[in-house]
Amino acid sequence: MSSVTDGTGAAAVHAEALVKHFDGRSGVVEAVRGVDLSVDAGEIFGFLGPNGAGKSTTVRMLTTLLSITSGRASVAGVDVAAEPDEARRRIGVALQEAGLDPRQTGRELLILQGRLFGLTPGEAARRAGELLALVELEDAADRRIKGYSGGMKRRLDLASALVHEPEVLFLDEPTTGLDPSSRLTVWDEVRRINARGTTVFLTTQYLEEADQLCDRLAIIDEGRIVRQGTPPQLKAELRERRGLDAEPTLDDVFLDATGRTRGRVAGDVQEVVG
Amino acid sequence: MSASWALGQRALREAWRTPEALVPTLFIPLFFLVVNVGQAARIFPSATTEFLEGQGYGAFQLPSSLLLAASFGTAALFLVEDIEGGYFDKLRAAPVPRTAIVAGRLIAELAKGLLIAAVLVLVALPFGITVASGPLGFVLLVVLTALWSVVFTGFMQLIALKTRSAAATNSGGLIFFPLLFLTPNFVPRELLTEPMEVAATFNPVTYVMEALRSLILEDFDWGQILPGFAVVAVLGAAMMALNVRLINHYD
Repeated sequence: MSSVTDGTGAAAVHAEALVKHFDGRSGVVEAVRGVDLSVDAGEIFGFLGPNGAGKSTTVRMLTTLLSITSGRASVAGVDVAAEPDEARRRIGVALQEAGLDPRQTGRELLILQGRLFGLTPGEAARRAGELLALVELEDAADRRIKGYSGGMKRRLDLASALVHEPEVLFLDEPTTGLDPSSRLTVWDEVRRINARGTTVFLTTQYLEEADQLCDRLAIIDEGRIVRQGTPPQLKAELRERRGLDAEPTLDDVFLDATGRTRGRVAGDVQEVVG
Repeated sequence: MSASWALGQRALREAWRTPEALVPTLFIPLFFLVVNVGQAARIFPSATTEFLEGQGYGAFQLPSSLLLAASFGTAALFLVEDIEGGYFDKLRAAPVPRTAIVAGRLIAELAKGLLIAAVLVLVALPFGITVASGPLGFVLLVVLTALWSVVFTGFMQLIALKTRSAAATNSGGLIFFPLLFLTPNFVPRELLTEPMEVAATFNPVTYVMEALRSLILEDFDWGQILPGFAVVAVLGAAMMALNVRLINHYD
């Protein structure tokens, strides 16, 4: 399988034959090898894969942070290579490392982000106040970010990605490294943001997260999409193909799709190349 | 312009909140001023040394200290922190001109350069150093020093963008450092040995140093002053173009 194109609405994210090669010391590294996908407006779309599968590279191409070797991609109807600034106006990005400036306060960071997206100083200050309330950081708003906990940083990063009310929000492993309580808080935020009409493109290594949050998902492995569909569709397909008695989990789908074997450690799937 | 100014304000807050990064830029140039004057002042007594124009050797040495103060490039290390922490990607994902991403930090560097140069000159005044070109000359002296700090930091930022490493940026800065000393640092260019004179003539820093020195030792000598400003204009334009090109091709 190589594409995710079974949605019905207008495409909020669209990629065709997307390829990314890096020149490494030992030759060319093919990080992404022809990804086709289409995400409908209003969806929460999950993009799963093992470490090094090409998730972050794909997201970085879709968000204009990486050049595209070949193929094409658009977000909110805008070609990311041809009109990068227009694409940037329509997307919000919260990357794997919460991209925050530790010397600023939460409020200063959000005001600056608003100014960078063209808000006046007054508008930016008002919007910062709204977002601090949304992510429940009002009490910490005027403290320097370096004193924030991991969960607070993630929520602030999420708020900074929303400052210009983007049509599409890219979240690259937004809960990696968070404790279970902070993870649940971020999930609630994602649902709330999506309920307001924002399309969410979420990469994650946590299959439970994908199961809980995503309307549809794709699994990428070694730079290629190897499964696609809604979580129930993917589970049903595996059950039928393998003739299983019980309903498989998304873990089973993931392991089947990526050719890995199971070993559970502390509640998470430990990947072992089979 | 508003994006540049917003990013400039952020960089100024950053500098204000890390005073420990500013202290060496004041202390080390003052230290070298004292040491160099202490070592050479008796060789060049003001009464018999024509190139001092009646002032002490400290006045001749002050431009070296000003250029040293303007050549720390600490802002480039803040840029590396942004890159390593992911904030630089946040900026790249915003619809701001790439020139604004470069200019934001350089605006703050200009402000810091103005402050440091003014403090250094004001500290030097009670020790008998005067600015012969008067108050306007003082302003030009401070502005030219600050512009050099912008240019130098811009080149350090190129290393930061290319290597994305604090250690490499620090080491890379040492490549530029000899340029400060391949200049008429201790005596005028015509008194240098021939190889040094040739090196100094090809070194753009020489013209900045001679412009600064001219403002301190003489009334306005535009033949000396303008080449200094021309050097920072040309190098500044090249630095800005190279920075923007690197950010545009940053993968």
